[in-house]
Amino acid sequence: MTTRPEEESKLKQTFGFDSFYDDQWETIDRILKGERVLLIEKTGFGKSLCFQYPATIFKGTTVIFSPLIALMRDQVKKLNSLGIVAKCINSEQTPEENTQIIEDAKSGKVKILYIAPERQENSEWIEATRQMNLSMVVIDEAHCISVWGHDFRPAFRRIINLVKLLPTGLPVLATTATATKKVETDVASQIGGNISVLRGNLLRENFKLYVVKVKSEDEKLVWLGQYLGKLEGTGILYTGTRVDTEIYSKWFEHLKLSTIGYNAGLDTDSRIAIENGLMSNKWKCVISTNALGMGIDKADIRFIIHTQIPQSPIHYYQEIGRAGRDGKPSNIILFYNPEDKKLPEAFIEGGRPSISKYEKVINAIRNELLGERELMRKTNLKQTQIRVIKSDLVEQGIIREVTVGRSKKFEYITNAPALNTKAFEDLRNTKKADLEQMIQYVETSQSRMKFLCDFLGDSTTHNFTNCDNTGLNKITVKPNEDWMQKLQDFREDYFPNLEVEARGSNIVNGVAASYYGVSNVGAALHRSKYETKEDFPDFLLKLCLKAYRKKFGKEKFDFIAYVPPTSSGDLVKNFATKLSQVLNFPITHDLVKTRQTKEQKVFENSYLKSDNVSGAFSFNNPSILAGKSILLVDDIFDSGATIKELGKLFTTFGVIKIAPIVIARTVGGDLV
Amino acid sequence: MKNEATYWISLAHLPKWGYGKINSLIVKFFHDEKITIEEFFNLSESVWSSKYQLDSKEISDLQKAKSELPNNAFFAENLFSQGYELIPITSPEYSKTLKQNLKAAHSPALLYVKGNKQILHEKSIAIVGSRAAEGKSLEFTDNIAKLASKDFKVVVSGFAKGVDKQALDSAIKYKGQSIIVLPQGITTFNSGFKTYYKQIVDGDVLVLSTFHPKAVWSAGLAMARNPIIYGLADEIFVAESSEKGGTWSGVIDGLRKGRKIYVRKPELNEKNANILLIQKGAIAVNYNGIENSNAVYSEQSTSTSLLQEPTVSIDNINDRILKVFNGRPLSAKEILDKAGLDWTTKKLTTLLQKMEDVQTVKKGRTNQFILKANQVDQPTLFG
Repeated sequence: MTTRPEEESKLKQTFGFDSFYDDQWETIDRILKGERVLLIEKTGFGKSLCFQYPATIFKGTTVIFSPLIALMRDQVKKLNSLGIVAKCINSEQTPEENTQIIEDAKSGKVKILYIAPERQENSEWIEATRQMNLSMVVIDEAHCISVWGHDFRPAFRRIINLVKLLPTGLPVLATTATATKKVETDVASQIGGNISVLRGNLLRENFKLYVVKVKSEDEKLVWLGQYLGKLEGTGILYTGTRVDTEIYSKWFEHLKLSTIGYNAGLDTDSRIAIENGLMSNKWKCVISTNALGMGIDKADIRFIIHTQIPQSPIHYYQEIGRAGRDGKPSNIILFYNPEDKKLPEAFIEGGRPSISKYEKVINAIRNELLGERELMRKTNLKQTQIRVIKSDLVEQGIIREVTVGRSKKFEYITNAPALNTKAFEDLRNTKKADLEQMIQYVETSQSRMKFLCDFLGDSTTHNFTNCDNTGLNKITVKPNEDWMQKLQDFREDYFPNLEVEARGSNIVNGVAASYYGVSNVGAALHRSKYETKEDFPDFLLKLCLKAYRKKFGKEKFDFIAYVPPTSSGDLVKNFATKLSQVLNFPITHDLVKTRQTKEQKVFENSYLKSDNVSGAFSFNNPSILAGKSILLVDDIFDSGATIKELGKLFTTFGVIKIAPIVIARTVGGDLV
Repeated sequence: MKNEATYWISLAHLPKWGYGKINSLIVKFFHDEKITIEEFFNLSESVWSSKYQLDSKEISDLQKAKSELPNNAFFAENLFSQGYELIPITSPEYSKTLKQNLKAAHSPALLYVKGNKQILHEKSIAIVGSRAAEGKSLEFTDNIAKLASKDFKVVVSGFAKGVDKQALDSAIKYKGQSIIVLPQGITTFNSGFKTYYKQIVDGDVLVLSTFHPKAVWSAGLAMARNPIIYGLADEIFVAESSEKGGTWSGVIDGLRKGRKIYVRKPELNEKNANILLIQKGAIAVNYNGIENSNAVYSEQSTSTSLLQEPTVSIDNINDRILKVFNGRPLSAKEILDKAGLDWTTKKLTTLLQKMEDVQTVKKGRTNQFILKANQVDQPTLFG
């Protein structure tokens, strides 16, 4: 057996630290003895040393399952700079890079290997694990194991199954910064094997916690417009939806504040560029959905602002936990408009599809081995719904996801139990209660930090003075006319982008005059299409022209074409004709349907939408098209399947540029 | 049991150990010492040597297997996630028929399966024969599978061409249950899992392999699989055998082990070795599987099959009925549906009232039935 001084002298050599914290040593001591440990410590405590150090002592390779690619990249860089061979395998690297790393691991050249839990489904990886010399398994962000946590991830299910099968004596460390008592118990029992739980205190004294009560979205935009630039340092602004991310960043752009928008839908390069920019304080603020920030090791995030109330105090604690890791004062601001709770409520209530949809999926899978796409076609359900259903059915042991060749399929489990809907109700009730607690956080007149600590099961008697209930001034919002005018100007000058560019098609990204649900545009469209059957009102034409100029400037097109209607008559034709008269581009009526299609909104998912319009169009006089450019007009843009299909069609006729313009773009289309 | 899978994989595939040697070790630690396989693996080398009388070569084999445990954990997790299950010989899920027929010397320590494991505990028959069989042999196979299916007996076959395939297809055709015994590792049977997806889902087919899950087909594995087919069956029917090859050596091996083996009595002009097997001690049967040396094919329509004898059938039906109970009272109609019986409710009610394990309860104006207490089946290890 080894002693602490011995290990600390090795620590000094490898990592340059003089000593371990007591909690770190207690963890490391157990790990070195081959035990299993669940370690709950706040962000910035130094959890990673608890596995990185033993990993350097062990002979073989330590495998770390982490859901956070940014964190993997970060830690690998740091370890390599210390001369420790660490690598990560993830979906952002090329298959060749990953294969090379797997080869290195097999031949014992890698000390610490970071890997995403999803990789456990990859046959190359599984094959490699038969040959590697494994010393320890680490589960980072272990709260993802528990459905009672704030970030349950189905891919962790397989990691738990793996851990259960690991032999005694192989050390296992699970770490998290955010676990309530319930999550702690759940995670510990799932990992099993005489696991010991070590829990540190979770309070963050350097936070300055504020809650700003507002009456409208405008008040949030105005306050931020006024004060964002005046906050100390750089930080992150979290919004509730991707659309809000876009709107807020366009608003700050309009005000010439240095910010950038980030969401999980961005490509890898853009995401890495933004993460790097965040690290180097390139912008005052990064505006993001909660996809950003977990695992980003930046010590001096000086403020974190939420424009949307999170689902629970634990979500909130997790998200603000990214601020002020250096221990210096950091501003933590939550905006709350009573309307805001509708979004998390909708998540909780609408988070689960109806039981009949579950039955539909079960019946389909019972009859046939199906992949996700086939299942979407068979059931006409949205991808998001299919994924929720799939995950629940796997959880309940009704179906399993298997790999057949290179594709994933769903298979019904022989002698499977019936669907247990009570489990859904329990979960929903828990989530509702958690949301209620989050509202309580807003309404409380006591210490906000204490409130969060209590919720996390971290009983503390500390006397806090770090929030707007315990000594700090309250923030109030009083928008003046000047700012309301600025906001008005912004709204009339802001048009959503249509991202439709694709390889092999000459279509370019286009523009919409508005979002469907965000303004009065949607209502106007609906009235013309389904009630009055009269032409779209002129204000829509004016808005479209403005959007056109903003996006395409003085550019000229050879033709205006419009999407032939399914059922709403000549509305789009008449609209396109007016547009053609104002812009003075000739209109063509030669784009026609070759077969009847159904209204796209009937279809719940993009595969069926795309099937519906595939090969459904033709052009009567294609010889005029070669080398020409076309402005393509439609009323509503949802999945974009029709526009993309027409882009392909025109490309085959030799059109060199197809630019779409629509009146409104829907929010939250499938497969965004 | 599932958490021990890693250890079982390591033990079951110890190179060159053989079933007999592995099983005698299992008997020592599991039966005599009453410790788990995990505890056995964690014993010191000196205990392995003193208490288990293992020599240095054997100890080094075990050390090597032990060092591969983490790797096998990853492997086992992947097997489970793909829906394969592992049944070690110490499990109550392990086929008792197999254990009784093959004894410790020849029973595999570990079965890999996918599908309805319950099938392993039903009455079963194997139908075996040549890959090149046709005509009379395939008709015989079809008829035996039909009679077996009617009688709720599971048809065991080896997934080869000819008789094997016919046995499986016929069992499916007659809505019976089947065990496919693979001549390869269970993860290399993807196309089969696709073909029999519906039957597996519905609980009518179980796929079973005794080899390392990654092993690909070979003639050697095909030969090694034959005793497993025989071992899983209560009765063995041979449709057609030539004078050498798998069927022949399988039957000879079975006869040597004292099994009763039924061979289709060939017609005079047939060119096969069925008569030879009968001369070596196999029992001649007719088209309906009836032991009757004078039987000829023309009698088929009038004979009452042994497989359909009332006493045998009633026992099976009793079993079938007992299995449908799940703790709540059922009406005769519900029992008919669940047991898939083609009877009138009156006939079933009469039988139910005679059955010792069943008790009648009044529900409104109708009679319902429930299992008497203490009738819950408790399987025992090494039954």
